[in-house]
Amino acid sequence: MLNGLDIEGNSPLHRLPVRGKLILLFTAAILLLLISDLRVLVPALALAALLYLSTGIGLGEAFRRTRFVLFTVLLVALANYLFHSLHEALVVFCRLSALVLLAAAVTATTGISAFMDEITRLITPLERFGFVRAADVSLAVGLVIRFVPEIFARYGEIADAHRARGLRVRPFTVLVPLIILTLKDADTIAMAIDARGFRRH
Amino acid sequence: MDIVFSAATVAYGARIALQPLTLTLSERRIGVVGLNGSGKTTMARLINGLVKPTAGTVTVDGLDTVTDEAAARGKTGFIFQNPQHQMILPILAEDIAFGLKNRKLSKAEIAGKTDAILSRFGISHLARRRVHELSGGETQLGAIASVLVTGPDLLILDEPTNQLDLKNRGLIERTIAGLPEQVLVISHDLALLESFDRVLVFHEGRLAADDTPSNAIAAYRNLASC
Repeated sequence: MLNGLDIEGNSPLHRLPVRGKLILLFTAAILLLLISDLRVLVPALALAALLYLSTGIGLGEAFRRTRFVLFTVLLVALANYLFHSLHEALVVFCRLSALVLLAAAVTATTGISAFMDEITRLITPLERFGFVRAADVSLAVGLVIRFVPEIFARYGEIADAHRARGLRVRPFTVLVPLIILTLKDADTIAMAIDARGFRRH
Repeated sequence: MDIVFSAATVAYGARIALQPLTLTLSERRIGVVGLNGSGKTTMARLINGLVKPTAGTVTVDGLDTVTDEAAARGKTGFIFQNPQHQMILPILAEDIAFGLKNRKLSKAEIAGKTDAILSRFGISHLARRRVHELSGGETQLGAIASVLVTGPDLLILDEPTNQLDLKNRGLIERTIAGLPEQVLVISHDLALLESFDRVLVFHEGRLAADDTPSNAIAAYRNLASC
């Protein structure tokens, strides 16, 4: 099903301009990477979680959206515990989790179209140097945000199809059709974008 | 507007998807029928350059779809079999506006054109709805609006009533009948094509019949029953 990651609402984060949100996120990312003091990082993580929940997303949906990334963060933290120390593991966990939640809060409160417009505006100056085409970059970012939920939904459909046929849901047997279908969809979407004349080279 | 095929051929390696086709289309309502894999979608995709001829040429209003690709594509709009595949953005109004970006229009102009096309199709109330929440007929109308907002002279619809219930099929049939633009419709819904000006029948990659709807549909029925 077609969907985006943004949710309707009127929270302070919803009302903040896209540029403000991106600048705040960028600043928070720099600060979080510079700080290694758990007395700051633990409250920062709590604050990020509160900010994410303040968007009105609901605890269940908030967890559902971030669980895979948070699981990866947990694995990275575990590796740090095994090869470094508990303190290092906690620092990595708090830092990356806070970043994930802040980024999730931004995507939950920003429409894809607004995101694309802002990214286009921010990157347009680089067009002068011939490095990039701003509209293409913003389209790529927009499509990633737009299709993440769709890929998850497709995963659910394939898993359901396994269950309906009495098959065990195994990662390999789900991932292969998921990759094939995703690539097929990507072809169709690319064709639709061309048909609508968005890329006017 | 004239669409001219001059020995246009499409081959994928050794497989010929469309045999050399020479044809001029200028009627206002053109239907295309054929069995699955007969070459009708390939023929339609040649018109807006989504598929390039491996031999021969296709021109739209005098513009070659290979050498004047962007200009030729600007003349044609294309509605895919599954209109959800062409909804790029999740909110209907945003998706309609998407097609107008990169055209050096101001925000106000984009908003004005979006509002006007929503109003033209009587779907202004759906502007802020998420596209996955729309019914089949609403999705199809939204897809048509999102293509026509850019002002093409020709609209190509690939099986527009496929997957629709009787009520929504009627809605789309009436909408197509009322469009002032030139229309080319690929369809298995033969009743939809009965009032058209000209119907083409494709079979095994060739143009098998090119006639009035009643004659062409009769030819198609013969081919299908073989």
